[in-house]
Amino acid sequence: MREYTGIVVAFVLAGAFAAANIILASVLGPKKPSPVKAEPFECGQVPFALPIGRLSVRFYLTAILFILFDVELVFLYPWAVVYRTLGGSGLVEMVVFLAVLMVGFFYAWDNGALEWQ
Amino acid sequence: MTDLVTVVPELILSGTAVVLILVARRVRRARSAAPWVVVAAVAAAFSLWAFSPATSMTGFGGTIASDRYARFFSLLFSGNLALAALLSVRHLDSERVQPAEYFALLLLASTGMMFAVAAVDLLILYLGLELMTLCSYVLVGIVRDKPAGNEASIKYFFLGSFASALLLYGIALTYGVTGATDFSAIASTVSRNGVTRHPMLLAGVGLVSGGLAFKIAAVPFHAWAPDVYQGAMAPVAAFLSAGSKAAGLAAFVRVCLVAFAPEQRIWSVMVVALAALSVMTGSLLAISQSRMKRMLAYSSIAHAGYALLGLVPGTPEGASATMTYAFVYAFMTLGAFGVVIALGPRGENLNGYRGLSTTAPGTAAVMFLFLLSLTGIPPTAGFTAKFAVILSAVRAGYIGLAVLAVLCSVVSAFFYLRVAVLMYMTEPQESESARLPVSVVAALAIAAAVTIVGGIFPNTLAVWAIPP
Repeated sequence: MREYTGIVVAFVLAGAFAAANIILASVLGPKKPSPVKAEPFECGQVPFALPIGRLSVRFYLTAILFILFDVELVFLYPWAVVYRTLGGSGLVEMVVFLAVLMVGFFYAWDNGALEWQ
Repeated sequence: MTDLVTVVPELILSGTAVVLILVARRVRRARSAAPWVVVAAVAAAFSLWAFSPATSMTGFGGTIASDRYARFFSLLFSGNLALAALLSVRHLDSERVQPAEYFALLLLASTGMMFAVAAVDLLILYLGLELMTLCSYVLVGIVRDKPAGNEASIKYFFLGSFASALLLYGIALTYGVTGATDFSAIASTVSRNGVTRHPMLLAGVGLVSGGLAFKIAAVPFHAWAPDVYQGAMAPVAAFLSAGSKAAGLAAFVRVCLVAFAPEQRIWSVMVVALAALSVMTGSLLAISQSRMKRMLAYSSIAHAGYALLGLVPGTPEGASATMTYAFVYAFMTLGAFGVVIALGPRGENLNGYRGLSTTAPGTAAVMFLFLLSLTGIPPTAGFTAKFAVILSAVRAGYIGLAVLAVLCSVVSAFFYLRVAVLMYMTEPQESESARLPVSVVAALAIAAAVTIVGGIFPNTLAVWAIPP
């Protein structure tokens, strides 16, 4: 169980930090309520539709592109940890993997997925 | 590098797919992309013979096997890919589908099928099947402005992900009991530790079988097949009914015979139930169909049942019969779908076949051949394949199951030969005879050749069909 102590400490510290900030803000912060502040928050914009309303399909595309790179990073981290033991073949395999991934990226780019009109 | 030799056909197919994705924007006509897919499929089939030694070898830490079993099915998938590419040329141009994307998905789905049959590890098996099904979901809905295709795609996706979850849960339970995902390691751990009756392992066997039964559309995991075949473009339906079924069957046979060999009493009961239900449901429901693709979907459900008959005894001879059945069925269903594609919109409905023998005698004759083969009438390959699987069920003592299969075969003659009656004994409605594209004619010729050769020389396939 000893090896999990660090994780528990991290959880406790993160929770305490978040809780402390919320408590400090509510205790120390000035309170000037206004109707605008009571509205639901939507990235600084005035909400013009119900939260369950339609969403532009472009966000979906952006999310997919984000996953493309996110998954790449998920694989890169463990690879970087064992990079020295893998040696040259590990490097070649990762380059092949990134090349295949870049094909997908190139396809999205080529078809105008990165243009936000 | 020896690892890579075991996956040469997969590398060829996925490499071609990558090239197609790169040039996707520059490919406008399906006619210019299809030849490359056919060349890739032929090269993959050739590499099966050229790069693989006669003995079996494993690669990637003993997770992928290049044995005669895998090569037999990979040959089937190469043929399926080439025929599907040939059949889809005209459809893609008329439906305004992006040809490069379509062919890349076909290539990647075939790569997944090849990995699924070469896998000797449950996780690689899962990856292969997922690659196949993920591409299939997109292929089914590739005509974006057709509501039927979208509906089919969504249905297929939901049911398919559910089946994948079942399969994955079964893999997890099996791993929980045996601590292994390697097929032979699972079998040896089970028999060494004497855990054949472990409830978690039994659940694992059941879930894995259920997940694989979905891929081959065996009752009660068949509900997706009619809607998907109906909504998808005809070439996609042909590709799925031949390839997806063969991949699922191949995986099913290898998992049952190698990984779950000590559990034969359990899965053999399940296979009997799946086979009996599929044969009955498929044959009976196909009678009332008036649309060709839907009828062929129910027929594919029935044929999944016939193919499973060979697995019931769990013997190498039975498995060999199942392999032959999957091979023969792939080509006869590709042929029957090929005729549907050749006739265009007219071929979708049964009434479109009225008097086909006077307007297009050649097409009617090939269709008649495929219908005979699907029914199981000599001298076609369908007869010899069906004979072999029923014989293996009889040898194992399942007389009742064999009688049921023969009876359902008689029932199926009704709806298959009804099309033949429409073609040859009714008056034509319209007298237009369109010329068939060369690619469709080539595909029909290949399918017809396999159907005839397999029927006249039944041993040609049987000597290649070597179980795992």
